Amino acid sequence: MHTRVTFFPVNRHLIMNNEPFHQIILPMKDRLFRLAYGIVRDREEAEDILQDLLLKLWSRKEEWHDIGNLEGYCFRAIKNMALDRLSSMAVRKTDAIEREQEDLYFVDNNSPHHAMVIKEQQLLIERCIEELPENQQLTFRLREVEGMSYREIADTLDISEDLVKISLFRARKKMKELLAGYDS
Amino acid sequence: MTAKEEIHIQDLLKRYWDCQTTLAEEQELRDFFSSDHLPTSWQHYAPLFSYIRDEQSVALSEDFDERLKVAMEQEKKGNQKYITIRIFTPLLRIAASLLLIVGMGISIFFITRQNNKPWFVETYDDPHAAIKDATYALQVLSHALQTTEEASLQTIRVIDDLNINWTALDSLMAEEITADSLAALTQEEDSLDDIGEFISDHKQHEEI
Repeated sequence: MHTRVTFFPVNRHLIMNNEPFHQIILPMKDRLFRLAYGIVRDREEAEDILQDLLLKLWSRKEEWHDIGNLEGYCFRAIKNMALDRLSSMAVRKTDAIEREQEDLYFVDNNSPHHAMVIKEQQLLIERCIEELPENQQLTFRLREVEGMSYREIADTLDISEDLVKISLFRARKKMKELLAGYDS
Repeated sequence: MTAKEEIHIQDLLKRYWDCQTTLAEEQELRDFFSSDHLPTSWQHYAPLFSYIRDEQSVALSEDFDERLKVAMEQEKKGNQKYITIRIFTPLLRIAASLLLIVGMGISIFFITRQNNKPWFVETYDDPHAAIKDATYALQVLSHALQTTEEASLQTIRVIDDLNINWTALDSLMAEEITADSLAALTQEEDSLDDIGEFISDHKQHEEI
């Protein structure tokens, strides 16, 4: 595909329309953002990663039709970019904890104590998700947060539907155990 | 909350843990667990569903599209420079090859023209005038040659008059030439001065 010879390579550029970008890629931006946010846990970083990805896709229009599953490609790309960013963010941990603690004091709820408890439990859930293997973590997020079908998740992560179900089952089991343990 | 509802939720939850629920049923569970009047017996599962709800509410900041647009414009500008170079690359190649062909053509033209040019060009119309001029030129040349020949002969005569023993001189050339040995070489006293001069010149030359 890449060895196609054209006298003026730029012609292909000009003819190429931007439809896939506006019809497929841009509508995904919130999902992609949430996925990145779920990994890096930092809004600015997540937005930065998303912008990087969109610009990269925009500048490589000629490769769009070479990518079979553009949607899946985007999810995998943002996942990898977010994981790369995470490993280069050494100071992240301390920042995240400060932000979370701050949140605990400004909960808008009728019963502050109850809200505090829920917040604490949510923190535990977040930690638990972070500790999950990568496949389980992504499957859980795509199913629960993004509300995607098993088929869509399988396509996105490029794994079999069975493996999606197994990953989700294990992730939910972990959650159940965590919540049951917290309760007792 | 009725018993029927409770059984329904119980069933949903069980199927949820077994990954048997549909997306709609999972939404139903989330709605149920985030309701304000949740029975205390269900309380301990609430954090999971409220966590998911919170995660779902995470959205891009309002100005993201604007910033993306600006970044894309910048990217476009950067790309355009690249595109103009790409447009002109084939043209540059063509121009370079044309230049090469033209250069080769010009040089070949001049070389062949030079070869066609005759070495002797006829500049005289009248053959008699040509002969006259040629004779004159040869006469001048002949006169000059005669003059130099006479001068050479005179020089040879002078050297002959010196009466030098040439064979003895040749054998001596390799050795150290001294004034004593020179005396034996010359048969006449007056020629000794000339030779002495010559030898001292020779020695000076050797020193240098």
